[in-house]
Amino acid sequence: MIRIHYLEKEYDNGFLALNGINLHIAKDEFVYLVGSSGAGKSTLLKLLFSVEKPTSGDVFIDSVSLKTLPSKQIPYLRRNIGVIFQDFKLLPRRTVFENVAFALQVMHYQRYRIRKQVTQVLELVGLQEKMSNFPSELSGGEQQRICIARAIVNNPPILLADEPTGSLDPDTSWEIMQLLSKINARRTTVIVATHDKGIVDDIRKRVVALENGRIIRDSELGSYN
Amino acid sequence: MFGDSFFFISEAFTSLKRSGIMIIISIATIAVSLIVFGVFLLLTANLNNIAEFVTSKLEIRVYLNNSMTVSEIQNFKTEIAEMPSVKSVEFISKDIAWDVFKKSFQKLELNDLVGINPLPDSFKVSMYNGREVKKVAKYLEDKFSGYVDDVGYTGHIAERIEMLAACAKYGGLGLVVFLTLATLFIIVNTIRLTVLARNDEIEIMLLVGATKYFIRGPFIIEGFIMGVTGGGAAVSFLYFFYLLFATKIQETIPFFPLVFDKDKLNSIYAVVLLLGAVLGTLGAYISVSKSLSYENMRIRK
Repeated sequence: MIRIHYLEKEYDNGFLALNGINLHIAKDEFVYLVGSSGAGKSTLLKLLFSVEKPTSGDVFIDSVSLKTLPSKQIPYLRRNIGVIFQDFKLLPRRTVFENVAFALQVMHYQRYRIRKQVTQVLELVGLQEKMSNFPSELSGGEQQRICIARAIVNNPPILLADEPTGSLDPDTSWEIMQLLSKINARRTTVIVATHDKGIVDDIRKRVVALENGRIIRDSELGSYN
Repeated sequence: MFGDSFFFISEAFTSLKRSGIMIIISIATIAVSLIVFGVFLLLTANLNNIAEFVTSKLEIRVYLNNSMTVSEIQNFKTEIAEMPSVKSVEFISKDIAWDVFKKSFQKLELNDLVGINPLPDSFKVSMYNGREVKKVAKYLEDKFSGYVDDVGYTGHIAERIEMLAACAKYGGLGLVVFLTLATLFIIVNTIRLTVLARNDEIEIMLLVGATKYFIRGPFIIEGFIMGVTGGGAAVSFLYFFYLLFATKIQETIPFFPLVFDKDKLNSIYAVVLLLGAVLGTLGAYISVSKSLSYENMRIRK
């Protein structure tokens, strides 16, 4: 599904964020990317999502090289990858329903299909009662659920999460992680970048640890440390 | 494609509805800048009208030698009429001139004062172009000194008014270009503000896989709607303002040559409305393209 090959990323300011990363993630896997701030977790996700281009090496998603992907093709790549953000990135002037529906409108879905799929996904994340509310009227956990609903509404094969529990309390964090496991069980590859030790130790999955842009550990059903 | 346009239009209206005060301020700004532009167009049109009116009244009077025969007068008239810059030549006999003179100065007992008619026969020569008056007058005086007693023309006034007309025309054109640019600048920046306020929105659209075309659509429709609304407001203001203003002037100075030609006024209003629509659309296009430029495609953190 995802193959990362001698990947290096140097930012314009000379900072070497990723250094010789080799990683293979199979379909349906659930992977934690752990490490302290600046270890390269977010950069790796950005490269997968084609927000940044590799300096050297390459990333292949379903054998498509992201290094040579023309910028016109980027939107179509992104439609196959759902992304969840720490700060949710919701449209403040749109309702919960519209925020989720927007991802489908972008893909030219028919109206009745939009209504059907958005309703289904909002039921899955438990927000069917709050469809017509605006994001600002909801709690942090609920806003993160909207973000998740938007990321998975078109059933993308890959789901990326950048610190999904970073701004949530422990109970809510746990609920969100349960939701991500549920999504993984529906045969979606899930990659979660986090430094939430409690979560990683509680819900055991494959753990890839990064430090100074290198992979220092890769263990099945591993713990944070 | 058709489905997209429907989506763009409904998105644009939803967004306008939810933008509240910001959109009202933006439309008002567009309207005001278009009003300034429109007032200027009306002013130029009126200046041109005045200049044209006055120029059309410019004429040369050629006073003829008393000794000329009827056929000589006829030949001379044909000769003048054939000059390319001459619009028309009218023969005014000394009797008609005398009658007109007497009517103009009824208080003078002219018949008692002067036994005979002292006025000469003359030609009233109208020109196509007021600027030629001086040249033609001099030409007639030199070339036909045998026939001509004297040539009179409203020379200096003619020159000045012609200059005014030229200023109004060419200076006006320059100012129109300048004002169009200024209006473009104001409108683009006004719309840029509404787009900037939604840069996060554009970023999110890019993140969920929207193409640039898809992001631009609603913004451009919004810009068009703002431009047309601002333009419409400006036109209604200009319409009533001009009606009021022109009526007042006409009450005070009845023969002042203001523009009342419906076609001419309507075309000015159409230009203002069109400018609003074009600049609104263009402004939105420029603004969104700036936001979509490469730097902004990165997720800012």
